Amino acid sequence: MNFKNILQQIEKADPEVYERLSGRRQILKSFGSKVAVAALPLAIGSMFKKAYGRTTDVVVDALNFALELEYLEFAFYHTANNTGNLIPAADQPGFLTIEAHEQAHVNFLTTTITAMGGTPFVPKHFTDSTTRGSFVPAAYDFTGGGAYNNVFNDYPTFLILAEVFEDTGVRAYGGQMSAFSGNALLVQAQQIAAVEGRHAAHIRLIRRNAGASELPAPWITNNIPPTTATQANYLGEDNTIQGVGAISIDITTITDGTGTVPKASATAAFDEPLDKATVTTLVSPFLKP
Amino acid sequence: MKLMNAPEDIQVKEPGYDVSRRRFFQLAGGVAGAGIFLASCKGSKPTDTYIGTEDFALLNFLYILQQLEAAFYTQAVATPELSITKDELLLLTDVRDQEIAHAGFLKTLLGKNAIPAIAPNFSSVTFVDRTSVYTFAAMLEDLCVSGIISACTYFENQAYALEFAKMATVEARHSAYFRDALTYNSFADGTVIDSNGLDMVATSPRTVLAAAENYIFTHFDSSKLPG
Repeated sequence: MNFKNILQQIEKADPEVYERLSGRRQILKSFGSKVAVAALPLAIGSMFKKAYGRTTDVVVDALNFALELEYLEFAFYHTANNTGNLIPAADQPGFLTIEAHEQAHVNFLTTTITAMGGTPFVPKHFTDSTTRGSFVPAAYDFTGGGAYNNVFNDYPTFLILAEVFEDTGVRAYGGQMSAFSGNALLVQAQQIAAVEGRHAAHIRLIRRNAGASELPAPWITNNIPPTTATQANYLGEDNTIQGVGAISIDITTITDGTGTVPKASATAAFDEPLDKATVTTLVSPFLKP
Repeated sequence: MKLMNAPEDIQVKEPGYDVSRRRFFQLAGGVAGAGIFLASCKGSKPTDTYIGTEDFALLNFLYILQQLEAAFYTQAVATPELSITKDELLLLTDVRDQEIAHAGFLKTLLGKNAIPAIAPNFSSVTFVDRTSVYTFAAMLEDLCVSGIISACTYFENQAYALEFAKMATVEARHSAYFRDALTYNSFADGTVIDSNGLDMVATSPRTVLAAAENYIFTHFDSSKLPG
């Protein structure tokens, strides 16, 4: 990570930032090239708290919402990876990788929020005796209230939920990006979202190769869900109009040399954001009261 | 939009009408002093393709990357000897069209500020060989994830950053696919994800552009590219 670049950006957005802090040289000295990767969130967080104490609420709220989803994903994969006869041997390394990333995200977000002076989210029933570190099984009902009773017995069912959680995670991060607008955390938020995108692509490829009926590509085609019951998680993904400000274009009018971009590809080329309220509704069946 | 690597699409520069050359003379003939004149001479040749300043420079930077991807997949899909399955060809064609969409979108946003078509250099790729094509594809996708994320904090108009975030996760999906297709379960391994679970990206557009230029004949004047 190039901390100097982040500083340059902050400097550009707020020329008086060093008056709020103790001078650029001092910051670079503290958090320069030798800063440990693990300490970076702490370094950035404490800097922002110092400089922009009044405006961190929006950022902390967005980070906490992300943290809420990461706890859910971590619990989901941790349970699956510790359930015998669920994940075939060939696929186990991939799901261990994914679980490790979700754990890392929980840690990264918790550390960053704390460093910013915020209170990190913890799942309900965090004090339950079954809690082990970031694993809070008492908080979740991955059967979705009985809709997925075989989630940890039947591999295809598990894959469907995994795909939905990852795709929804990507869209949820997309919906929170505006909270980080003009903020150095926009980089980190996108770095996490990209990893969720990789997870989603992997799970989708497993399902494609296993012959899932809708033949999922590694990316989201139109608004096609893995099951009709999960359609709500994909609404809006069939958008073909993209733009910034006054300029917009229907992507299906772009020519590809032999014709125009097919709608399937035009929609797949963009992961559409979902707002917090929508995501909260979508995950609520999997949360215990 | 022309994306095929056909001879007529290779950018032909007319002496005296090149964008950066015109700018050079504007500067030299204006009230600009000798210092600016010398600064303009330094580092870039008059024949270089000038990519603009600030947000336009960043947009052209991303347009270069997307053109490179679109040209690469166009050539890969058009290589009948490429030894891949029918299903793999379907996905490769899908990726091609998505990159054409990204490139066309950026061209639209740039309008008259868009640079001409770039001349890609894929001499390091063996287009009949699946491993060569997929390895290059994964590298290119990772580079584009870096490109989009590295540019995001530099945009004066943050609306660009928010819109392109929708593309970054898709490039990451592409990369994961090609990585898995080469080596199963390598979709997000330790070579691309750090210990915080973050996609390892270059944080400077300049670094990303320098890497991309290894595969492009066109020379750019990117002296005003932020970052």
